[in-house]
Amino acid sequence: MTEQQYLNLALAKMHTGQWFGWKKDWTGSHRESYENIIVHDNSITKPTEVEVNAKIQELKDEETAHTSARTTGKAKLKTGEALTDAEVEALFG
Amino acid sequence: MTSILKADTIQDSSGNNIINENSNTITIGASGDTTNIIGTLQNNGSAVASTNGITMADQWRINSASTLANGAFVTANWEQVDTDGYGTIGSAMTQSSGVFTFPSTGIYLIIGKMVSYMDAARLYVGHGIYTTTNDSSYTQAADAYNGIYAGYAWSSTTTHFIFDVTSTSTHKIKMGIWTASSANTIVNGGTSSTETGITFVRLGDT
Repeated sequence: MTEQQYLNLALAKMHTGQWFGWKKDWTGSHRESYENIIVHDNSITKPTEVEVNAKIQELKDEETAHTSARTTGKAKLKTGEALTDAEVEALFG
Repeated sequence: MTSILKADTIQDSSGNNIINENSNTITIGASGDTTNIIGTLQNNGSAVASTNGITMADQWRINSASTLANGAFVTANWEQVDTDGYGTIGSAMTQSSGVFTFPSTGIYLIIGKMVSYMDAARLYVGHGIYTTTNDSSYTQAADAYNGIYAGYAWSSTTTHFIFDVTSTSTHKIKMGIWTASSANTIVNGGTSSTETGITFVRLGDT
């Protein structure tokens, strides 16, 4: 995933609905940056850049853990070991 | 004083046919000729379709991601595609709160596309094109689904619908989301590549 995709997903996971968008002072992917976030929903305060970066890192960590669980889960299946809940979820949903 | 000239063929001074009538078929000109019509060519009083074929093509997308629940409509962040050499033909669609209005009556091909992201398995995730013919009640005209067997996965769905727009004030469309259970789905968007969007092509007259 690109950094812009992570930024989009992190913001989307912070609140439900289409609460944010991007300023349109120009075109292209560089619109998708923290500085250009606009908040549509009056009940929501724009998150700080630290909060957004923490959410992005949380996403990346979850993906890494998911990939790891798939790997260890497959290995355990071959040797007949018991799977953890995370490994079952990663392999079978 | 009016007069009637009766002839099956009119030729130029060199003996080449200009107009010929044979078995109710009228042939104007011949192979290699250029036939230049000054004014408007009509078919029994109605305009003849443009020789260029497509007279309207337009494409829209959402510029950002959002977490949407089952049954939600995509109501915000729509914009006309504006990067990567985008081109359009004819008058553009107009959009307000996710409701698209057509620039003129006609038969339109509508192609909807949605890219979504899920951090957990889904029995199904997809989208629908919803139409109204009375500017009030919408029904699902086309839909597409994927089943996601594990989390942290992407889905892409595409729908097609041919819509007979007999009135631009009553015939409109919008896009809705379907996702299994109460789990939300992240509908992806972007400003440089179309992740979730709708393409409109006017095929011809209604």
